[in-house]
Amino acid sequence: MTQELTVMMLTWEFPPRIIGGISPHVYHLSKSLTRNGVKVYVVTCDFPGAPEHEIVGGVEVFRIDSYKNPSPNFATWVYLMNVNMQKEAAALVNRLGGKVDIFHAHDWLVANAGIGLKHVFRKPLLATVHSTEIGRRNGLHFDYERMIHETEAWLTYEAWKVICCSNYMVSHVRWAFGLPEDKLVMVPNGVNIQEYTRNENADLRQFRRKFALPEEKLVLYVGRLVYEKGIHVFVNAVPKILGKVDAKFVVVGNGYMKEPLSNLVKSMGLAHKVMFTGFVDDKTLKNLQRCADVSVVPSLFEPFGIVALEAMAAKSPVVVSDTGGLSEIVEHDVNGVKVYPENPDSLAWGITKVLLDEKYANWIRTNAYKTVLEKYDWDKISQQTKDVYQAVLKEYSKSFWA
Amino acid sequence: MRVIILSWEFPPRIVGQLANYVKELAVQLVKKDVETHVVTYHDFLTGEYKEPEGVKTYRVKNPVRTHIGVLTWVLTLNQEVERAAANIYYKANKQINLIDAYDWHFIQAAVTLKKAFNVPFVYSVESLEEHRSHGANYPFNMSIKSIEWLGFFEAKKVVVKSDWMRDEVVRIYKVPVDKIKVIEPKSKTWMKDILETYKSVGGGALPK
Repeated sequence: MTQELTVMMLTWEFPPRIIGGISPHVYHLSKSLTRNGVKVYVVTCDFPGAPEHEIVGGVEVFRIDSYKNPSPNFATWVYLMNVNMQKEAAALVNRLGGKVDIFHAHDWLVANAGIGLKHVFRKPLLATVHSTEIGRRNGLHFDYERMIHETEAWLTYEAWKVICCSNYMVSHVRWAFGLPEDKLVMVPNGVNIQEYTRNENADLRQFRRKFALPEEKLVLYVGRLVYEKGIHVFVNAVPKILGKVDAKFVVVGNGYMKEPLSNLVKSMGLAHKVMFTGFVDDKTLKNLQRCADVSVVPSLFEPFGIVALEAMAAKSPVVVSDTGGLSEIVEHDVNGVKVYPENPDSLAWGITKVLLDEKYANWIRTNAYKTVLEKYDWDKISQQTKDVYQAVLKEYSKSFWA
Repeated sequence: MRVIILSWEFPPRIVGQLANYVKELAVQLVKKDVETHVVTYHDFLTGEYKEPEGVKTYRVKNPVRTHIGVLTWVLTLNQEVERAAANIYYKANKQINLIDAYDWHFIQAAVTLKKAFNVPFVYSVESLEEHRSHGANYPFNMSIKSIEWLGFFEAKKVVVKSDWMRDEVVRIYKVPVDKIKVIEPKSKTWMKDILETYKSVGGGALPK
């Protein structure tokens, strides 16, 4: 297939570096775009053991030195990392003879590099806003947060179009940065269903035993252990569930709340029931999602909620808080359970309901799988993204930059 | 010859002695038939302007208004500097001999423009973080030093104003001494030395 269009993706995470939802998003989007005839270069941060340059499913990945000197704080590190990212990306575009049609930046984490490259090479910049500071922090309280917010605003200002993954995020981003309606495009996030095929074989039963006793139900949380993910709500729901059903609670992920939460669990006398695994590799994660009797997404703020989609693809029933993108993915009592955000009683009710009623659990997970097949297939999503690229390039061709 | 000078201070914005030095340099360059563009920062006198003496200035402001210190402030200002420099570059049919970057502030822009357009740059040292912060090595100072290091590494030539500063650059950053040119501002050969350095970095005259 001829590759009529060349895109350079800028992202601070790309597998094997996985911090949040951006990494799998860019990975699948890039691979699917490549299948769809788009030439994709990914410029991303380095990761121990990952090569500086590799081709993954036709996608050319370049990993840059992500700035390893000490830096005063996270935001300053981001800006310093962007010095390196911009420099390396500029050298790469130069080597390619300027043959990049679009720069596509994912979140403020690569805002500087994206904006600089746009002006230096005079090519359109597209931004996907996966999350916002004002949403993550539930308001702007310090100059540090305002600085990040204004960097996000700057990125949306410089972008030709701003892509958001849910209708909720479209209206949130429009509100947060005062953007005109026609600058925003909704393209959902997707999930690669083949990766989650569930086969109930002996290996999986063996695997499950590492995490839970055979008589225990397995309740799974996957996500960063940070405030906006509502992990504290989950921990507070644990004793309310254990009163009704025997279960093991597996918490996958890292974050600044790991230490206080595991202390809290110990003081509740529940250390034998709640397991903090930290970061796990991709295979372990997918197996856990296949084994889980219920997957829980208790977020307070959730722009999209890819982890819910992954669980649905793995045919694990989902219990989600009724907020943000999760509200759009899940239809209550049809393909999942919705509970009140920041409410441990409501969350415990939802989890208990799924664990105690096997027929109900089967009903929602079967429907959930259908939802993923119909609406969140990457090839459909990458086609929508390609449509945005082509619309932008058509406008661009009439500008004095072209 | 066509030169872009990057300096975070330029009259009417005067922070230290750099502003007036760069102004004098730019004016003298114009007299020597060097087309001189100065990209600098100003919070409200933004845009392009031709100074009475013939220097072309392009002032940009920071797109991010709230900051937690000079370091983040500098790091988000660079993209605007790149935008201004790129506008000059494209307007000049991509014919720029060199960039002359003053101190660490716009090293990011100088390096990116070099990588993108193969335009070499001179790193002109007015002062170093080591001396400004009296040897402090907090992450804040280390970050600024790492930017200075990047400047020394990527620059085609380093210009300092004294033998002492040359020795300091060699001592702190292990820059090969033959990469450094000492040009004393008060000396009689000042302009001659500048022009020779520019020529060695950016080549001769542009096709008219």
